[in-house]
Amino acid sequence: MTSTKRPRKLILYVAGQTPKSLAAIANLERICAEHLPGQYEIQVIDLRQDPKLAREHSIVAIPTLVRELPVPLRKIIGDLSDTHKVLVNLKISDST
Amino acid sequence: MTASENDLLIADLRHKLAEAEETLRAIRENEVDALVMRGAVTEEIFTIVGDPESYRTFMEVMEPGAVALDGFGRVLYANSTLTRLLGKSLTELQGKLLTDALPIATGKKIERLLSDASTSKQSREVLFPRNAGGDLHFIAVANPMRLGTISGHALTFADVTKRVRNEGAAQSEHAAQAAIASANEAVLVCDRKGIITHANAASSIVYDGDPVGKAFAEIVPLVFGDATGALQADDMIAMVVAGTPVRGIEAVASNAPKVKDYLVSAAPLRIAGDRISGAVITMVDLSQRKAAEQQQNLLMRELDHRVKNILALVLSISARTAANTDTVSEFQTSFGGRIQALAATHGLLLEKRWTSLELRDIITSEFAPYTDATVDQVTIEGLDVAVTPRAAVAFGLVAHELTTNAVKYGALSQQGGRVTVRAIGYSREDDGAFVLEWRETGGPPVAPPERKGFGHTVITRSFQYSGGGAEFDFAPSGLVCRVSIPSEDLC
Repeated sequence: MTSTKRPRKLILYVAGQTPKSLAAIANLERICAEHLPGQYEIQVIDLRQDPKLAREHSIVAIPTLVRELPVPLRKIIGDLSDTHKVLVNLKISDST
Repeated sequence: MTASENDLLIADLRHKLAEAEETLRAIRENEVDALVMRGAVTEEIFTIVGDPESYRTFMEVMEPGAVALDGFGRVLYANSTLTRLLGKSLTELQGKLLTDALPIATGKKIERLLSDASTSKQSREVLFPRNAGGDLHFIAVANPMRLGTISGHALTFADVTKRVRNEGAAQSEHAAQAAIASANEAVLVCDRKGIITHANAASSIVYDGDPVGKAFAEIVPLVFGDATGALQADDMIAMVVAGTPVRGIEAVASNAPKVKDYLVSAAPLRIAGDRISGAVITMVDLSQRKAAEQQQNLLMRELDHRVKNILALVLSISARTAANTDTVSEFQTSFGGRIQALAATHGLLLEKRWTSLELRDIITSEFAPYTDATVDQVTIEGLDVAVTPRAAVAFGLVAHELTTNAVKYGALSQQGGRVTVRAIGYSREDDGAFVLEWRETGGPPVAPPERKGFGHTVITRSFQYSGGGAEFDFAPSGLVCRVSIPSEDLC
């Protein structure tokens, strides 16, 4: 991947402003800014506003981060406070 | 189903199984706080920690600034008091470290406070710098808190700015009072209406009694010398309260118990901010300075007077000496001797600070150059009489002429001669002049002089006022001279 490519989308499912949701948003923004600048754009979906959006990616637990592309689809569940785990999931998948 | 379709199905099932396991693990390990349930119609969201609205409502009605933080110090919720204080919206704060939104020094303090409050409540005073209106002071209290599945802190900020400022103002007040109390000058503080609110101990010099509660202008009426009555004490206070200080004006405080002359200064009193709440009046005792100025003026006039007199006298001595001497050398000797006689009397007067001199001291001073040779030939009796400086100068010249004449031509010019200077007493006339006698014996025979020289003139012309004067008796056995010093020159 080069920096001229369009950034890929990461979808973060949250439930309003629960502590874990707030933490997940802050952690994801920090990780992307520090480790993956320009590679991803983040879309935050608040399932409290529209719960049926959970169907698309069969979301069960909140917060959950979904990376659609490249396939296979990846889900990372939790507040994303484990930076290493997040990076492994995003980068390893990228190389497969 | 083909073999490849079968493989895909198995892979999909494995993937779903892994996802289900990951979900369960995340729930078990407390990494999620909400779940999606499929309801009758649509999905529903269930928050594991319960509805956060309840604690938010509670925080919102709290008067102090309040914030709920997770275990990392990130903002979960902050009430509007705190968002206003930080100047950020709730959205800007949520999920972010609270310390990043604080002034650097305050942030460090809060970090330590949260660290100390891991198991029990802790508090600390913190400061929010503000350029205008002064810094804001808060007591920050951190309480460990468990919110559903997460542990964090409840942190409140109670505004104690007013209390801190009041303490500061109270300290300033104490310092100001101590400064006023220890001042040597009279210091009086008035309110805007000119009523005295504070006065130090030194104020007793301007008012005999307790001045507090009384109108300054009434108990200390001031007359300003250069103001021709246009400016009075109440005008001065009005001027100061309006913002114009008064510096070092000389004034007379006519009602003051002792000292009347003062140097008055007055400055606006500012206690809080720019508002003038009264006047501070300082009054310095000028009496000593005034007395010193008067003494100095007196001395200047006296000095001027004496210098003129002495120059006139020196000119007169010079002219008369010149008229009675034949050579320059003779003039120099006579004139020098007379000036020295004058100087000797001045020296004696200076020692006595120009108050008075005793006749004995003047005579003794004139005999001094000849003391070794004439110690047994001179007798002085009863001349412990003090005279004024002008009489002392005149008598000094008379004594000089009589002495030099006696040494040159009279009783002291040879062995066996004697001079007796004694008091005759006070004249029986109304004038009461003091009479003394100069009598020479045992000298060469005396005859009246053929011409009257300077000495004769000086002696006979001295004290020619108020019953004073001098007379000669040129008896063959020796010169006799009586000198009367007018009573007005006796001390």
